[in-house]
Amino acid sequence: MVAAAETPILLFTDIDEPGLNTLEVYERRGGYQSLRRALAMTPEEVLEQLKASGIRGRGGAGFSMGTKVSFLPKGSMDKYLVCNADESEPGTFKDRELMQKTPHTLIEGLIIASYAAGTNRSFIYIRGEYELQADMLDAALHEARSAGFLGENILDSGHSLSLVVHRGAGAYICGEETGLLDSLEGKRGNPRLKPPFPALQGLYQGPTLINNVETLATVPAIIRMGGEEYAKLGVETSTGTKLVSVSGHVQRPGNYEIELGIPSREIIYGLAGGPPEGREVKCWFPGGSSSPVLKAEDLDVPYDFNSLAQAGTMLGSGAIIVVDDSTPILDVAMKVAKFYRHESCGKCTPCREGTNWTVKMLERIDAGEATPMDLEIMASVQEHIIGNCLCVLGDAMAMPIGSIIAKFKDELEAHMEAARLRGGLNGAAASETALAAQGALDA
Amino acid sequence: MPRPEPRAISFTIDGREVQAPENAMLVDAAKHGDVEIPVFCYEPKLGQPVGACRMCLVEIEGIPKLQTGCSTPVKDGMVVYTESERVKTAQQSVVEFLLINHPLDCPVCDKGGECPLQDITFGWGGGISRFIEPKRHFVKPLELSPLIAIDRERCILCYRCVRYSQEVAEDYQLVLLERGAHSYVSTFDGHPYVAPFSGNIIELCPVGALTSRPYRFRARPWDIEGAGSVCTLCPAQCNVTVTVRDERALRILQRDNAEVDDGWLCDKGRFGYQSFHVDERVTQPLVRDGGALRPVSWERALAEASACLERAGAQTGAIAAGGATNEEGHLLARLMREGLGSPHLDSRRAGALPLDLHRALGEPRLQAKVADLEFAHAVLVLDAEPVNDAPILDLRLRKGVRRHGLKLAVASPHKSLLDANAALSVRYAPGAGAAFAAALAAALSGTADAEQLARDAGAEPDAVSELATLLSGADASGEDAGSEETAPREVVVLWGERLTAGPVGAAGARALLGLADGLGVAGVDGAGLLEVPAFANGRGLREAGVLPNAGPGLAEPGPVTATASGNGNGHGTATPPARDAHEIAAGLAAGDLSALYLLHCDPLRDLADRELWERALAGASSVIAHASFLTEGIREHANVVFPAEVYAEKEGTIVHPDGRLQRLRPAIAHAGDVRAEWRVIAELALRIGLDLDVLSGTMASQRLFDAVPFYAGLELEEIGGRGVRWQERDAAAAFPAADAAVASGAGSARADEGAKPSLRAEPGVTLEPGPDGADFAGWRSVWDAPEVEYSPALEFLFPRENPVLPLSYSGGGKT
Repeated sequence: MVAAAETPILLFTDIDEPGLNTLEVYERRGGYQSLRRALAMTPEEVLEQLKASGIRGRGGAGFSMGTKVSFLPKGSMDKYLVCNADESEPGTFKDRELMQKTPHTLIEGLIIASYAAGTNRSFIYIRGEYELQADMLDAALHEARSAGFLGENILDSGHSLSLVVHRGAGAYICGEETGLLDSLEGKRGNPRLKPPFPALQGLYQGPTLINNVETLATVPAIIRMGGEEYAKLGVETSTGTKLVSVSGHVQRPGNYEIELGIPSREIIYGLAGGPPEGREVKCWFPGGSSSPVLKAEDLDVPYDFNSLAQAGTMLGSGAIIVVDDSTPILDVAMKVAKFYRHESCGKCTPCREGTNWTVKMLERIDAGEATPMDLEIMASVQEHIIGNCLCVLGDAMAMPIGSIIAKFKDELEAHMEAARLRGGLNGAAASETALAAQGALDA
Repeated sequence: MPRPEPRAISFTIDGREVQAPENAMLVDAAKHGDVEIPVFCYEPKLGQPVGACRMCLVEIEGIPKLQTGCSTPVKDGMVVYTESERVKTAQQSVVEFLLINHPLDCPVCDKGGECPLQDITFGWGGGISRFIEPKRHFVKPLELSPLIAIDRERCILCYRCVRYSQEVAEDYQLVLLERGAHSYVSTFDGHPYVAPFSGNIIELCPVGALTSRPYRFRARPWDIEGAGSVCTLCPAQCNVTVTVRDERALRILQRDNAEVDDGWLCDKGRFGYQSFHVDERVTQPLVRDGGALRPVSWERALAEASACLERAGAQTGAIAAGGATNEEGHLLARLMREGLGSPHLDSRRAGALPLDLHRALGEPRLQAKVADLEFAHAVLVLDAEPVNDAPILDLRLRKGVRRHGLKLAVASPHKSLLDANAALSVRYAPGAGAAFAAALAAALSGTADAEQLARDAGAEPDAVSELATLLSGADASGEDAGSEETAPREVVVLWGERLTAGPVGAAGARALLGLADGLGVAGVDGAGLLEVPAFANGRGLREAGVLPNAGPGLAEPGPVTATASGNGNGHGTATPPARDAHEIAAGLAAGDLSALYLLHCDPLRDLADRELWERALAGASSVIAHASFLTEGIREHANVVFPAEVYAEKEGTIVHPDGRLQRLRPAIAHAGDVRAEWRVIAELALRIGLDLDVLSGTMASQRLFDAVPFYAGLELEEIGGRGVRWQERDAAAAFPAADAAVASGAGSARADEGAKPSLRAEPGVTLEPGPDGADFAGWRSVWDAPEVEYSPALEFLFPRENPVLPLSYSGGGKT
């Protein structure tokens, strides 16, 4: 993979080294040294390093990892560490590459985190579609276990850890931490009410620490460099490096490791090569399909948690999706809305009904059967979803759709008008599509 | 576990300061300030809130996002707004979302008019619809079971029914299938949802998605009235509301009483009302004429019956059972003792116990309450199967285990449905309940012969001692032990009447008292014994004096007198030895007795030893019965049949197994020519020269309260709609004490050498099902009843509903 020349490489060190997925190569390249170093410290000292690093969760919510670890109650009860590898956010594919090419980095980070958090049982919940990655993790686990990095009394430290790779069955909602826990327990993967938060009552009602793959995979680097040193990377409140998955209309899509705080333009144009010749960026999702869209004029926003939040969007999982001017914005909205309608678990009202309603309205716009008033209704529906749901899946549709309605109102109205004028055949055809969709729903 | 004692705090809601119990959920706390927060999915009876419907969103100062009031515990000083613009918008939007896929077919919906979705839409909705897209469509309605129809279009996916199935009934049959807007409630593979408590989901449903098939399209809410009563179809005596239209019962709803039923009903109680209005029901007096029962006038039937009774005089036996009220039992006892000079009457399935044992077992200090089943440290279910004997207690025990850390132990001769929830299940030989109780009592007191006693009962000695450890709490971990220093351990023994039935009954009762003694439950609040009698009002009838050896209030019975001229030997002579049910049968068979008076009892169905009773009925010269249905024994043997009232027609009181007097009030008019049964008994008494001086139902109750010392001063008003436990009244002090040796359990079965051999499990006990589904000794499940058989909707449950393999075991009654 290509990285900006001056960017420090932490996660993607030797990422293209052949055989890095094996323990032999990984150890030859300095693997598991951080683990040894961490086990020589006390758990509290390790936790201090994590706190000092300032690392924020890489899964989407961006919550400080060190703080999260410290929420776990002390005591001898069964505590769990769960790695969320259900990477399902459209546009996000960074964890896949990490797990496929350097599974031991994740395992090492996980062991260190479990040591700091005092958990003795851990799971990697990996999305079912990642068959290859799950197989490679299983193979790596086997190696790690044989080498004594897992199991009872790891490296004579007194710390024990069991680790199981659990494959999901393909639901986006199982990437939501409490839905993941239900699924892991063998139940239907539905989000739970919070509070109680998983740190107090999570898996099997025990205290549970849940972290993203990338977050845990960064831990060995933090221990290697020291938390304070790590915190010098990036910008204040967004420390360290981040893997960014760039996709969409760019010339060089892929995963890039960047230092947080660099201008977004540098990622999209510099690393990924920008849109194909002769096209312009129309809009871009800075953090996966659930982040509100930005337009071309926002390309100079620094790519870090706070700057993006100030721009009214979010860093999310670090998945940049670029849309160029060849694509109607309605298609983008439709794609997003249909995804979330399909993935809504149905437990809470606003998300279940709101996603469904939004798709139907978008279809009506495309069919030329809508009026500008429908845009207002659609916008208000998004407002009614945001913040009122049981989990953030509803918001994940409402935020980008809301931002699209706000920022591309003219284009949507033009689209609507054009579709209406086309009317006749096209309109009827679209209605038929809607009816067919309805039929499928009935069946 | 000790019950929580909430502290009162004050918080501000919509600008007003309100007192509420700390940590109550906001929707409940708000009610203390007369503020209603609308809810759909919230239902405390289902356990922890899930926050799924989002209807209860409220604004709390200091929290940026709106919070669900159903899941936010109220804290001191909290400031809550339920009427701010933000909240109103959110509530309106949730209603709008819920309605977009709802068919709005209220005019043809059974729920219309009593529908929370309608009410909340009216109260909190926006009043307009912006949704013009096609709605979601499903095939409707589907049969979820023979009792329940499901309309998936109306469903708002609140999860109540699914949670009920998973977390209350624990039958795990209902699930949500598919995802998002496609979700729907169903069962695995579309199997019918058949379970003992399935009907509760109809009432839980906040919309018209789950409807009762027997009730569908029978009435609209403005056609009907609700009348509170108590179901007497089994000893659990759940509180119900009868839905009445044109003097017919159309539906039975729960009438939440946490001290009795916790707001649930079993399907028998919920759908058995259909049997009130079927053609098979006896609704006019019948007299045997030319070999067949023929309808006659009341005059003719009463004349016939009084002539029979006059003829038989003191050679009359009487049995009261089923849902006969205390008043009816009391009047019957007076008719027998004062009118006919006969002391032969009983209300127990397999005969009475010595009076001292009745008293010792009824001792107020030993009685546990129903709610104790939920909050006790440990409960032992002994020789009873709640689903079959008093169904609703099954849910209470499950709740205790699931939510309050109750340790449940089951001791039974066969597999129990509660085994999965039990911390320990112990098996013993069929029929060896009494022996098992003795073995357990011995294990608790640590006597040397404990092992031998366990083996005699056909139980594993190790399992018995493990059970003793569990019940006594000797294994309690550190945290448990700490609390014990301050509070005594609360243990409840839920025992079935069969434990004290038949030849080993007295030994069983002594063993039980020994067990109570060993567990130290006497006088401990929240601990004690709780009997499941064989008959719905078993306890009440005994207290009213329907026992051969006890008068009202378990007093020594006075000498009998006779006003009737009959040829009985009670005339002017000494009182003959009183016969209990078993001896009445023997007497009839041998020709010592000639007449039998049956109140809500068919001996062939309800009493022990069918073979003896067949001979008894054949030998009786006259049989007078109050019956609703012509079951086998009545059809073949009764000379006079008075049509019996069903509970919805009755006036009177009954006593719950835990001593709660409950009041029956007429909800519907008498069917056909049915008359109040207290009136029939009083009329008969008058005809044989005894004036019982009862002119109304209230007078009948008053006579009873005057006659039973520990009911003294009671009035119907005091009983009210919730009932009152007599043990909690001052008059309870008048309960006759048992002989000290008996009451302390000193005379336990172990010491009773005479009883010991008979306690031993008999080798080669048969394990085949008994005739027509009853077990060997004729103990029937409450589901095996005419009310189930004759209710069209329940019929499908009748022969098959036998959740436990009907293993035969001799619970006594063998001669």
